[in-house]
Amino acid sequence: MPREIDFFGILLPGVLPLFLASLLLQVALDSVLSHIGAYRQSWHPALVRLCLFVCIFGALLLILYK
Amino acid sequence: MNPPSAATPTQEHKAARGVNKGAAWLRSETAGWFNTEGQRWVFVAKAMLAAFSALWLAFRLGLDSPSTALATTVILALPSSGMVLEKAFYRFLGTLVGCAASLLLVALFPQSPPVLFIGVALWIALCTGGAAMHRNQQSYSFVLAGYTACMIVVPAIDAPAHVFTLAVTRVTEVGLGIICAAVVHDVIFPRRHAHAVMRTVQTRYAGFITFCRQVLERRLSPAEAELNHLKFAADIAALESGRAAAFFEADHARSHTRQLHAFNAAFMTVLTTFYTLHRLIHRLRINATAPVLDLVEPMHAHLARAMKPDLTAGQLARMRVELAEDITAARARLAAEPLEGRPQQIDFDTAVELLDRFVRDLEDFAALYHGLTREKRQQVSDPGAYTPKTPPAIVIASGFRAGATLLITAAAWYWLAWPYAANAILMATIFCALASSSPRPTALVQQVLTGFLIAMPLAFLTEFLLMTRADDFGPMVLAALPLLALGSYLSTGPKWAGVGIGIGMFSATLLVPANQMHYDVEAFISSELSLTMGVVVAWAMFKVVLPEHTMGHKGHVAAALWREALNACTAPLHRFKRRFDNRVRDLLSQLNAASGPAPGEAARSVVRQGLTLLELGHAVIELRQLIAASPPGPARHGLQQVVRNLGDYLRAPTPAHGATALESLLHAGTAVRAVLADAAPERRPPLQTALTDLHSIYTSLLDQLSTGEPHHAA
Repeated sequence: MPREIDFFGILLPGVLPLFLASLLLQVALDSVLSHIGAYRQSWHPALVRLCLFVCIFGALLLILYK
Repeated sequence: MNPPSAATPTQEHKAARGVNKGAAWLRSETAGWFNTEGQRWVFVAKAMLAAFSALWLAFRLGLDSPSTALATTVILALPSSGMVLEKAFYRFLGTLVGCAASLLLVALFPQSPPVLFIGVALWIALCTGGAAMHRNQQSYSFVLAGYTACMIVVPAIDAPAHVFTLAVTRVTEVGLGIICAAVVHDVIFPRRHAHAVMRTVQTRYAGFITFCRQVLERRLSPAEAELNHLKFAADIAALESGRAAAFFEADHARSHTRQLHAFNAAFMTVLTTFYTLHRLIHRLRINATAPVLDLVEPMHAHLARAMKPDLTAGQLARMRVELAEDITAARARLAAEPLEGRPQQIDFDTAVELLDRFVRDLEDFAALYHGLTREKRQQVSDPGAYTPKTPPAIVIASGFRAGATLLITAAAWYWLAWPYAANAILMATIFCALASSSPRPTALVQQVLTGFLIAMPLAFLTEFLLMTRADDFGPMVLAALPLLALGSYLSTGPKWAGVGIGIGMFSATLLVPANQMHYDVEAFISSELSLTMGVVVAWAMFKVVLPEHTMGHKGHVAAALWREALNACTAPLHRFKRRFDNRVRDLLSQLNAASGPAPGEAARSVVRQGLTLLELGHAVIELRQLIAASPPGPARHGLQQVVRNLGDYLRAPTPAHGATALESLLHAGTAVRAVLADAAPERRPPLQTALTDLHSIYTSLLDQLSTGEPHHAA
């Protein structure tokens, strides 16, 4: 993966699309988890959600920028 | 604590008790403090954490104007995490759209600033109009799309080539602020909005049951009942906006959304039925038609006794059985000694039908309530979201005002040739757009202006006494903290919220050092002045340009209510009943928001009018549904005539049209009764309903004509 993306003459960081992709993945996962009521089992649903996002984003980064 | 050794046991005992008492007092005081002031300080701490983490990241990443990220977190500091996430989402959306629009505008007219300004003014007018139409957080998206374009275009006028950089910077920094605010408010000591929504649901249920009991026991004056209806209308709107905010929180289920929608819809239905019933009782009492009242009164007493704030399904079932028994008993009495005169017979039939319908609606409502509180998944069909409705005149006026503000300030910028006037343009546009969707825009802008004026000297002192000594990020935080914390603390109280927001925004814009800081007293004072001037201009615009055309203004709401009633006669029927309910309640809730805690007589008369029109509209919609389902014949023809004449009356409420409508109602009643006499059993219930509807239209029309000032739907 390139470190930077040339977007009409502006250099954007290459992790930005990954960030957006993990947001999308997160939204999908989130709706599934809400639907099966998994958040109700957790002490701090918002924290779980944030951690899941960090995991997804981190995993994508590790896979693509090894 | 060691008691003195000489102390006798009783003394020791007393001392221990004193200590215990002291500890208990301390504990209760601490708990009390923690629940009121403590919550506010936790909020301030969260807001500050979000603000300075965003600022630190902006510096660390070397972004062009770190103050935007800081300002974003200040704006997003809201009490509950759902609200923060919702506003963050819509802010990001609005920023993206606004940036795209600014790129387009600059690309179209790079060489001619006047045309460019007209283009921006049109865009802002469009966006502000859209914001006025929605009035929830989506409206914030519209506001932002408008003024973001302005924010990017104004600095880009001299250097159109830089517009793309400006746009990208803006998106990046707003994004950074959003991420920091969302993470901090959602994760650290979150206050979940879903809980607040459930509390609203519970208070509404208990409130409604109490209201019903009081009305049935005749403990409320008509004025109090009207105020209650107004509050309920506001409550319906608040529940929908709360639901929308809770949607963004973790652990939100889609079925819950459906349940809440159904809950709101069921509430509107039962409220309307109860209002019709209430009116009927009221009329019976005024006309002193004693025999009917004697027959109906015991049923009311029984119902009132059965109404407990936590009405359960079992109690409701018992209530229904009791009502059925009462009705049979009353009918038996009636058979023994018939009422004299047909009107009384009709009154009795209507009362019974309404009571029955009320208990049925109440049962639906209660079932939904119990489903919600016990977190049971119910399979309910979604009746559709509550849709707000703003009178179009207000929408157009808001757009016009915002566009005009931009053009006027831009012209002033040109003639004054004062470079800092660009700040004034931005501030005036921002507040014109933001306050447009508020019910009392002048009050809001005034509060923000107060905040700006308070912040002016404080920001100056902070900047030149404290900031100049800061040589690192830590000292800088310490220097900026007091003023930002003051703003954030004030914004938590209801009375000073606007002032707090003003202080926060002012200091967030001015205090933060740029990447290469230079301290220039003249420039600082010029910025202070121009920012404040901008808010003054916004305030003046609200005072001068179409000051009557603000959200929830009585005249506009009244006119819109008449239009809605007319729509009930003419619009296509598909899903119309719900929409009609929504819109009328929404107009009432706007009225409630605009008239403040103690609505005056004028506002109350609009409420009375609105409730009458609501009753009328419901009956008309039901009639039209019956017409659509019934076979052709004299009854159907009569009903159609009623709808047509009512439409004429609502379009032009003159006494002549009213008289025609009344006459056609009587004709239709006779025709329906003639058909009813020899109708098949399965045809009877709809015809009975038609009679009830005709009766309620007739009485509300009579009321309207006797008291009705000929309100023209202007």
